[in-house]
Amino acid sequence: MLAVCLTLMARLVRVVNFSQAATGMFGGFVAVWLVSNAGMPVWLATVIGILIGGALSAIIGWIIATWLAEADTSTRSAVTVGPLLLLISLSFILFGNKPQPFRPILAGPAFSVGGVVVSQVTVVTVVLAIVVAVGCRIILAKTSAGTQLRALSERPTTAELLGIPAKLLSVGVWTVTGMISALVVSIVAPSQSNDATSLAMLIVPAAAAALLGGFRRLDLAVVGGLALGILQGLVAQIDQISFVRNFVPFLFIVGFLLWLQRKEVWDASR
Amino acid sequence: MSTLKLDNVTVSRGAGPVIRDVSLRVDSGSITALVGPNGAGKTSLLESISGVIDPSSGDIRLDDEPLGKLSRVKRARRGLVHIEQGRAVFPSLTVEENIRLTARTQAGVDEAFDRFPELAKRRGNASGLLSGGEQQMVVLARAFASRPRFLLIDEMSLGLAPVVFMRLLPMIEQISKDGVGVLLVEQFTHLALGVADTAVVAASGRVTYQGDAATLKNSPELLHRAYLGGAP
Repeated sequence: MLAVCLTLMARLVRVVNFSQAATGMFGGFVAVWLVSNAGMPVWLATVIGILIGGALSAIIGWIIATWLAEADTSTRSAVTVGPLLLLISLSFILFGNKPQPFRPILAGPAFSVGGVVVSQVTVVTVVLAIVVAVGCRIILAKTSAGTQLRALSERPTTAELLGIPAKLLSVGVWTVTGMISALVVSIVAPSQSNDATSLAMLIVPAAAAALLGGFRRLDLAVVGGLALGILQGLVAQIDQISFVRNFVPFLFIVGFLLWLQRKEVWDASR
Repeated sequence: MSTLKLDNVTVSRGAGPVIRDVSLRVDSGSITALVGPNGAGKTSLLESISGVIDPSSGDIRLDDEPLGKLSRVKRARRGLVHIEQGRAVFPSLTVEENIRLTARTQAGVDEAFDRFPELAKRRGNASGLLSGGEQQMVVLARAFASRPRFLLIDEMSLGLAPVVFMRLLPMIEQISKDGVGVLLVEQFTHLALGVADTAVVAASGRVTYQGDAATLKNSPELLHRAYLGGAP
């Protein structure tokens, strides 16, 4: 789902958002704090966490849409490293540097195939990713807001000169993807390393999955996420190489980029 | 009657002004041709009117409302539509989607296709796959569908053969006859002067002629003098 968010951001608002998972992480941490310290019910704290994730993302989006509206994708993307580092630091200051006691929203196995247990978390995240990808595709193709967003992604200045509210739409995309990120983190955090850095760095496997679709295609981003998950699962099953499990996304990114560049290398050598 | 009025507008880029102290007026239902050599500041002037860049001094008003503090989105919503240089279509959007971006209703879309019937049969095609002339037609139809009060058209002929551009000019004239004021920046000077009511020549960063378009068209000497920066 994070890969779908990254793809949406790259396609619609011309940003590879390195702070995508960090905003979700911060919203999730606030939710944990509300449960642990304020005695709030998990569902309510999760909703508040999701709203905070959306709000943080909206603030970053508003800043970029205001001061970097005409900047290129590289510059806009580089700027998001700032909020990534800021949110990790702020989490250390406010919540400490230890893993957070996330209460699982979903727990237990959903079903097993050939002895391999598939968890509820996996099923729900996969289904949500597909629903979000299909939903976004329908919105972009069938609604006037979707058409405006596609126009905005192609020629932002022209879109504004036609009266399309570029800033409002951009901030809307940032907000929605920020909320989805916080939801994802709330679902997956209990079942993995959940300190600030680990959760913020979920951006790496997300970027690897989005890369398969060239940060343009939502369907390939979903396929990429699934493929990476399966690959990581397989690697984890083999004792001799299980230690490289967390490096799989990096290896995938490097390998895929090298493969994409194969013609340039051939042409240069020729 | 609506009026777009510029008073002593100066536009700067980088080190200094590219065009200085421009005062002009465009009335609804009229065409004003803004012509001049490359680098005279014509595009910068249009961009300052639509809000792409801010003028360094001067006053721009739409029906006595100062536009200075309005964003480009708000200016567009007040009926000031700027057609940029080059092919300003959204290439992956179909012809109909391009028009639907500005048409408020289905009736508006249908009306645009009635006005530009050549596009009707290509309504489902991606705009980026059309010929240059057809793409500019899409841009005009999209502007028409927004029901503008004023059109700022910047070098619509760029990259087009004169014969193709000549097919677009009657469409611009027709839009003007509907009551839209047009400020037309154009490199094909004689074609632009042929449809314009008023002409403004910008050269060397200032206005060197302002007056009747037909007079300028029929006086090559006057036109050459204005292009070379001579006094009006």
